[in-house]
Amino acid sequence: MDQTILTVSQVVKTYPNGVHALQGVSFQVGRGEFVGVLGPSGSGKSTLIRSINRLIDITSGRILLGDQDIQSLQGRALRHARRRIGMIFQHYNLVERLSVMENLLHGTLGYLHTLPSLVGAYREEDKRRALELLREFELGDYAYHKASQLSGGQKQRVGIARAVMQAPDLLLCDEPISSLDPVTSENIMNLLYTMSQQRGIACIVNLHQVEFARRFATRIIGLNGGQVVYDGPASQVDDRVIAAIYRGARLPEREAS
Amino acid sequence: MEQISQQLAARQPQWGLGRAGVRRDGRIPLRAPGQGRAVRLFFGACALLSAASLLYLWVDWPKLLSRAPNIGRSFVKLFTFDFTGFSATLSAFGESVSMTVLATIYSALLGILFGALMCRSLVKNHIAIGALSAVFTFVRAVPSVVWVLLVLVCLGFGPATGIVGLSVHSIAFFAKAYAQSFDDVGGDVVEALTAAGANRLQIFFRGILPAALSSIVAWFSLRVETNFSESTVLGMVGAGGIGFVISSNIQNYRYGRAGVAIVLVFLFAYLVETGFSKMKRAYLMDH
Amino acid sequence: MDHRIPVAGRREKRFYTLFFTVLLAFFTVATLLTQYNPFQLLFQGEAFWTFLTQDFLPPTLKDPAGILSAILTTVALAVSATSCALVLGFVAAVFASPRTSIFPRGAKVLRALVTLVRNIPSLIWAFILFSALGIGTGVAFVALTISSFAFMTRTFIEVIDELADSSLEALTAAGANFPQKVAHGVVPNCLLDFIEWYLYCMELNIRSSTIVGMVGGGGIGLVLFTYIKSFNYPAAAGIILIIAALVIAVDRLMAYTRQKVLNEA
Repeated sequence: MDQTILTVSQVVKTYPNGVHALQGVSFQVGRGEFVGVLGPSGSGKSTLIRSINRLIDITSGRILLGDQDIQSLQGRALRHARRRIGMIFQHYNLVERLSVMENLLHGTLGYLHTLPSLVGAYREEDKRRALELLREFELGDYAYHKASQLSGGQKQRVGIARAVMQAPDLLLCDEPISSLDPVTSENIMNLLYTMSQQRGIACIVNLHQVEFARRFATRIIGLNGGQVVYDGPASQVDDRVIAAIYRGARLPEREAS
Repeated sequence: MEQISQQLAARQPQWGLGRAGVRRDGRIPLRAPGQGRAVRLFFGACALLSAASLLYLWVDWPKLLSRAPNIGRSFVKLFTFDFTGFSATLSAFGESVSMTVLATIYSALLGILFGALMCRSLVKNHIAIGALSAVFTFVRAVPSVVWVLLVLVCLGFGPATGIVGLSVHSIAFFAKAYAQSFDDVGGDVVEALTAAGANRLQIFFRGILPAALSSIVAWFSLRVETNFSESTVLGMVGAGGIGFVISSNIQNYRYGRAGVAIVLVFLFAYLVETGFSKMKRAYLMDH
Repeated sequence: MDHRIPVAGRREKRFYTLFFTVLLAFFTVATLLTQYNPFQLLFQGEAFWTFLTQDFLPPTLKDPAGILSAILTTVALAVSATSCALVLGFVAAVFASPRTSIFPRGAKVLRALVTLVRNIPSLIWAFILFSALGIGTGVAFVALTISSFAFMTRTFIEVIDELADSSLEALTAAGANFPQKVAHGVVPNCLLDFIEWYLYCMELNIRSSTIVGMVGGGGIGLVLFTYIKSFNYPAAAGIILIIAALVIAVDRLMAYTRQKVLNEA
């Protein structure tokens, strides 16, 4: 039985302006699972993903990373927990002025003592890992280019590499391909899938592109109006399920797997 | 690892990494060599100059620090508001605001005129534009205070002096800013309207001016803030208004009265600032 | 159909109508209050011209050594004040920006304080400080630093909020702590903008330094003021030309620096 890496339990998030973004979301993710999250705009996908690494604080419920309750962590413990979770953003969130190498090494900041990290005294072994990772991602020639000089797809690969440098147990991907063309999107999804399988990193990916979700994810969670309306194998996601997720049509009862 | 170094070395002519992509002490570099050098040089130079400046000034730090509590005392005195003579303060404040408004309005109008004259898309004589530009640069390089002192000689004390004094810099400012705005819209509009058979006056009034209207308003509101601040400064050297009230009260140790005047200045500046940014946001939202 | 076909969009028209109406109202009130008639100026222009040509020209220059040291004082004041303001402003901005701050309530207080200082003209600060601490270059330095500091802090906060937002999110997600976020998120993203504002503030401070000098800070401004007070107009004219030259030279230097340093991006 796969080890459970993430447990989300009855999570509720209500924003101060009254918006009920999440209304009792529960699910579990096992080691190495590749989960696609589908749902219309405003369904709470973004809120959900950012709650997991506490970029957003939830109103009630529990989120467990392994057996650690994320909500109760503070300061250094929280940062240690965040080290174990990598995040990939729609707009890559790189530091454009810095080189690709430097952007990658930002992934190691959570593991370094403050003082040396401030002056950029990264560990040689981390730098070597970075170069090898770049070679693996076919970005070897770009190690010293400024991030601003890369194309969108390349930037996202740098973003993924940065997350992988953390040696995380879990990867959160907030609409990683929404800013990319179809061919590049396919490459990125392939890369994510490969990383996930090779290194045993669980992946939760927010997506709009239903086809990509069906092709790459082993499991799909459908969100609508802050609630889970579907949680099951990707293979069983047919048009009725899609309708349920995106248009709130009714769905016969299914067991969450 | 060797493979990577070789690959990097092979790329070296393209981005000049030098040898083998590995620093001489065997440590892997983080960025391309030479990147960021200009910035580091700049900061080095600044640090050096700043240290030299502080040494040159030869400030008596201990004495300064020993007197520091006086600042606290002065602030307390400033904040024990004294509302005697408030009506005089209020009218002086009104005078400063009026000076600001009038100076900015008149200067903006003249600025549009000069801006049109300095617009490269409209005026072909670039030498004349250069000369005019140089004149305005000189005008702005001399502190406003000096201009006011000069005007003082012929106009005497009073609001007119302040208005003219403020206008000097403002006209130069608007001329440059508006010329820039006109140039930004200029090229295409001029081309299109000329092709349609319009003469230069028509091109300006029906084409360039309407297109630049939003930036005219934007620069105007920016300058109102600056001018109000300047009017208090000018008031201190004799143009009257709230600046004079503040300086004379402080010099005569009537801190309570000065404090009231300072609060008025602050309130006005703050209201103008927030008012304009709210207006900007509302206006931008509309579009 | 007697509605005239409109040419401009209605919302835009409404905004401009409102704006110009308000402006007209202010204009009328102001003119009434001050009795300002610009056409009068044209008549007094002649007296001005006579004064200018007879009393002011030709400009003379005495005591070059004294003038040089005065110039150096003015420049030294501007440079040191701007640099100190840069450092202090950066630290303050990092603690006061809602994106980076670790003391959210303290940050609000700090921002309010900075707004207060910024909206009071620097010369007023100079006056307050001169009366509290006595006149002299040291106090002028403090006055300039305070007003520059408020300017820098406010501007830096805006820069941080605008530029560093996404990087800070990524670094937080990766588990970086506050100093790391500042060093790797704020600094690399905002550095060039910070430098741009530093140069701009330097230009402003050369001018402010002259003015503050006039009321007691020393430097070339004081020299000018002394000449004017003693009715030595030709000498004053000479100083005015020097001040203009100084300001223009500094502006040129800043433009050159901008080109060299900021274009490495």
